[in-house]
Amino acid sequence: MFTKLMAATALISASMISVASAETISMWVRSGIGDSFKEVVKAYNAAHENKVELTEVPFAELVQKYATAIAGGQAPDALSLDLIYTPAFAAAGQLEDLTDWAKALPYFNSLSPSHVKLGTYEDKIYGLPLTVETSIFAWNKDLYKKAGLDPEKAPATWEEITANAEKIRGLGGDTYGFYFSGGGCGGCMIFTFTPLTWGAGADILSADGKTATLDTPQMRKAVDIYRNMIAKDLVPAGAASDNGVNFLSFTNGKIGQQSLGAFAIGTLVTQHPEIDFGVTLIPGVDGKPSSFAGGDNFVVTKGTPKLADVKEFLEYTYSPEGQKIMAKYGSLPTRGDIANEVLEGLDPRLKVGLDAIAVAKTPYTLQFNDLINSANGPWATFTNAAIYGDDVDGAFADAQAEMQSIIDAGQ
Amino acid sequence: MMTSSLTSTTRRSRLKRKSGWRGLVYIAPAMGLVTIFFVLPVLFTLWMSLHKWPLLGEPAWIGLRNYTRMFTDARFFNALGFTAHYTLIVTIAIFAVAFPLALFVEKQRPLVSLYRTIVFLPVVVGLASASLLWVWLANVDSGLFAPLFDMLGLTAGRINLLAKFDTAFMTIIVMVVWKIAGFTMIILLTGLQAIPTELTEAARIDGAGGWQRFRHLTLPLMRRTMALALILSVTGSILAFDQFYIMTSGGPQNKMISVVYYIFNQSFVSFNLGYGAALSIALLLILVTLSVVQLWLLKVGDERP
Repeated sequence: MFTKLMAATALISASMISVASAETISMWVRSGIGDSFKEVVKAYNAAHENKVELTEVPFAELVQKYATAIAGGQAPDALSLDLIYTPAFAAAGQLEDLTDWAKALPYFNSLSPSHVKLGTYEDKIYGLPLTVETSIFAWNKDLYKKAGLDPEKAPATWEEITANAEKIRGLGGDTYGFYFSGGGCGGCMIFTFTPLTWGAGADILSADGKTATLDTPQMRKAVDIYRNMIAKDLVPAGAASDNGVNFLSFTNGKIGQQSLGAFAIGTLVTQHPEIDFGVTLIPGVDGKPSSFAGGDNFVVTKGTPKLADVKEFLEYTYSPEGQKIMAKYGSLPTRGDIANEVLEGLDPRLKVGLDAIAVAKTPYTLQFNDLINSANGPWATFTNAAIYGDDVDGAFADAQAEMQSIIDAGQ
Repeated sequence: MMTSSLTSTTRRSRLKRKSGWRGLVYIAPAMGLVTIFFVLPVLFTLWMSLHKWPLLGEPAWIGLRNYTRMFTDARFFNALGFTAHYTLIVTIAIFAVAFPLALFVEKQRPLVSLYRTIVFLPVVVGLASASLLWVWLANVDSGLFAPLFDMLGLTAGRINLLAKFDTAFMTIIVMVVWKIAGFTMIILLTGLQAIPTELTEAARIDGAGGWQRFRHLTLPLMRRTMALALILSVTGSILAFDQFYIMTSGGPQNKMISVVYYIFNQSFVSFNLGYGAALSIALLLILVTLSVVQLWLLKVGDERP
């Protein structure tokens, strides 16, 4: 009896050891960024002894859930974190320092620079690029044709876009020339609207992130362009209260033109093959294009016992094989050195998303949520008040003052 | 004589003490629940409110600074102002609808239970679900109201109800009245039914008209019921959050941030849990004060009707 028990115990512990040698890494990803990360995890799990257990968290709750999970000691080993939040979590001392390992990667210098910049806090690297996302301008070629426009000619200025929108609106009914989520969606607007001013050399924050510089002639001009299109009834009425839920309105086929994310190219190609569309860079108010480089950084929770396994997984996603899978499902390559090779054979329009990286910008601030993304923050409020409100000067003054006070309170 | 009376008093007081202990045992489960789910959380909130308490990292003691910050926080006062505005309007609207409804369904008439059921039906829908439903109803493209008003010729073209403060506020008020009035109606109905019919008859025989009976008989006898309905309605309105969060995300242009919404934003968007806790304590004090004032105004402690 006793020997039997011993044998059983030995067997159990032996099996436990063998289980322990194949680690399971727990990882989180936010919803709404497409399937690229899910697919690369699937491919990794199929080919490796270690397994990644992926949990999808609604994008609006990820930061809050991750923060509470850290506080409660239940955090995942690693996660795909919206890159703009990397500085805040790094500053709070919750992320693993990856500096030495990252700099030893042979392709470190060709990793997406915006991501690495936001992943760096006080000269240490806490986040590395996982998915790359840029904003681009899309137009519906069928509607262009119907409105008598050249469907192959990408508009290069906002005057041109407005004129085209008028012609498309002329088709009547519920066909509109332009769309944007104008109901206080800070995330949508920083992504699609600020490139208008970036291209013209202005920004909403100073380079060190310590001064709000919202009220610029460029921003005034950008606001006027949007106001003008609304006054001319070129934008559906629903846009005024769209808090981001209908961001992909372009996919309904009745919107002539819209600024979108590169991920939408993947969505359109795979889920809406009936829509014939073209993409180009978002023109600035003076015609010079720009873009918002967004996406996710890969970060590791401080103190995880599975650091080596996590690194192995990340190296796999950086391999040509991993990059190819990511690109196929809509995420642009994070490695510049093999980008062209990765995009070979995929939809040629993804190339525009890649070109955008060269002119793209990302605001660096520890208070991104408070300033920009929060539905009740100054930026979200400003976009609605300035574009739809009656008091443009007041909207500028209020938002400028409130942004500055939030920045000052956070110092 | 002397001793016997002495012993009898001690026995009586011992008896009294015994029954006192028994009473405590009876209410112990309730007290336990209240302690665990109300007293302790409030004490912990009070403790948090004296700290700078970020969601990440270590809390730091800052004494009363969260409370002094409150007095210079314009956004907090905006939220208070909006909440007061909302509470006033929605309470009047609810009573204006619920009282006539209660008078209507109180009298026995054909199909009265059907009417009661219809009016009460929205109450059983959750507030969040009701808000979501109304977001769709108010949607300018795929909803009901905008095309309907357009068809009836009330508006020139379809208008986006949720895009402007006035129309969005109106939509939310109508939604809340639709959702809550049935509940207030039931409370008022119980009060109406508790009025003895003899009194009404006596007043009628004395020659009191309909309005006089309502003003001098029904209203005074309904004071307690009214107090209950009023406190429930005011408290519920001051704690309003779901409808603003779901229907307008606090918009247009942040004009619909209620106090609870502001506390939520401070705590879980800006991660200032300490300041959020201080705001919660302030709100608790406001609610207690308001309830005491309402009870005093309606003289509920007064035994005589």
